[in-house]
Amino acid sequence: MTQTPVLRIEGMTKRYGQKEVLRDASLSVNEGQLKILIGPSGGGKSTLLQCINFLVTPDAGRVWLKGEEIVRTQKKVLYEYRQKLGMIFQDFNLFDHLTALHNVTIGLVRVKGMSKQDARDKAVYELERVGLKDHISKYPAQLSGGQKQRVSIARALAMDPEVMLLDEPTSALDPELISEVLTVIENLRANGMTMVMSTHHMGFAREVADEIVFLEDGHILEVGTPDKIFLNAECDRTRAFCSKILELYGSA
Amino acid sequence: MEEVLFIQHDVIPALWRGMIVSVELIIPSALCGLLIGIVIGVSRVFGNAFLKTLANTYVAIFRGFPLVVQLFIWYFGLPHLGIYLSPYVASVLGFSLCSGAYHSEYVRGALLSIKRGQLLAAQSLGFTKMKMIASVVLPQAFRRALPGCGNEIIYLIKYSSLAYMITCIELTGEGKIIASETFKYTEIFLIVGIVYLLLTSVASWVLHRIENRLRLPGFDNYGL
Repeated sequence: MTQTPVLRIEGMTKRYGQKEVLRDASLSVNEGQLKILIGPSGGGKSTLLQCINFLVTPDAGRVWLKGEEIVRTQKKVLYEYRQKLGMIFQDFNLFDHLTALHNVTIGLVRVKGMSKQDARDKAVYELERVGLKDHISKYPAQLSGGQKQRVSIARALAMDPEVMLLDEPTSALDPELISEVLTVIENLRANGMTMVMSTHHMGFAREVADEIVFLEDGHILEVGTPDKIFLNAECDRTRAFCSKILELYGSA
Repeated sequence: MEEVLFIQHDVIPALWRGMIVSVELIIPSALCGLLIGIVIGVSRVFGNAFLKTLANTYVAIFRGFPLVVQLFIWYFGLPHLGIYLSPYVASVLGFSLCSGAYHSEYVRGALLSIKRGQLLAAQSLGFTKMKMIASVVLPQAFRRALPGCGNEIIYLIKYSSLAYMITCIELTGEGKIIASETFKYTEIFLIVGIVYLLLTSVASWVLHRIENRLRLPGFDNYGL
């Protein structure tokens, strides 16, 4: 069966001076798929994710959303495209001067032009979905890391994105908080959200990913199902990386 | 007795008149200066190459020329180009432009203190650059710039005394006139100084109130 991928990128390349941090990366994500990027730190996972919504300007590469190519030089197209991709960052990046509620409403009001009341209703709904009903009027400084990350997920979801990009969403959290954030991500997946996520959380990757992408030195070295990548990797480097993980955490 | 009458009939009315003029110089200059500072500061951080150069040049000139020289240029220089400004307008113009250059540094510092991650988050939500600056960056930067900008306003209160050099007779000007008529320099300027002290005290109280009003949990109030 062939279907148009929701998101397709081709030939993504990014250089900082002489250093090539991303080389010719291509990827396509189907509706409802969860793709997980793994690989050593500095391997290009974040750069790849940030090139997808052009937070980092790639030196080469093309992007299609639902079959339509995105011309990033057209500002209007770019801003509309970004609304359709929700992005979650490792360190949450909440707006420090706004309450949890207003962190979510600000995009709805300022970008989508929604009325304040509608935005509020929508934000409350999204915050409830991530289990933060009782914390809507708290400021970021009054929230735990896990709560902050869930606010940022609510903020992204409120924009009704087609795809979510998650850049190591649990790396700044302790084990207890990790599970509360992973639960939210699993629920999203169960509800059919299309996602691309980078993580070092191999247990989670193996359990829920549809496909795993192994990235090192800016190259996509291997793509495959979790079983293939963790048990039967073709590439030596993938095998070496995964076996280190197994050594560290017991069973992956 | 004579002394008391002199103070009551000559000194107080003159200094009162002067103080009103000073306040009329200070308030518009402070507001315009702050506005200019914000615009220039934002241009210096977020502007394109052209805007940046323009704003940097502005700051270099208006921070580099002595303020008295700037006032002389506005008041005595512009008439050569056929532009005649009243002493009051020339003073407010001079103060605003100079104050704006200083404010822009405080604003720039505050803008740079906003974490890049928040800018990425705003962009990822589809914010245009202008909207991002207006609704994410400035509300935070303004809070961080306030102590510095307040400092500049306090400073402005005192350098407003330069207005009398271009015949805008404000507090210091009135003081100088009475002092030179009576040769009571010490007494008169002591009173003038105390009036400035009162003005700066009121200003710092107001600024402090604003800071408190804008204070947010976990934002800038370390250890409180």
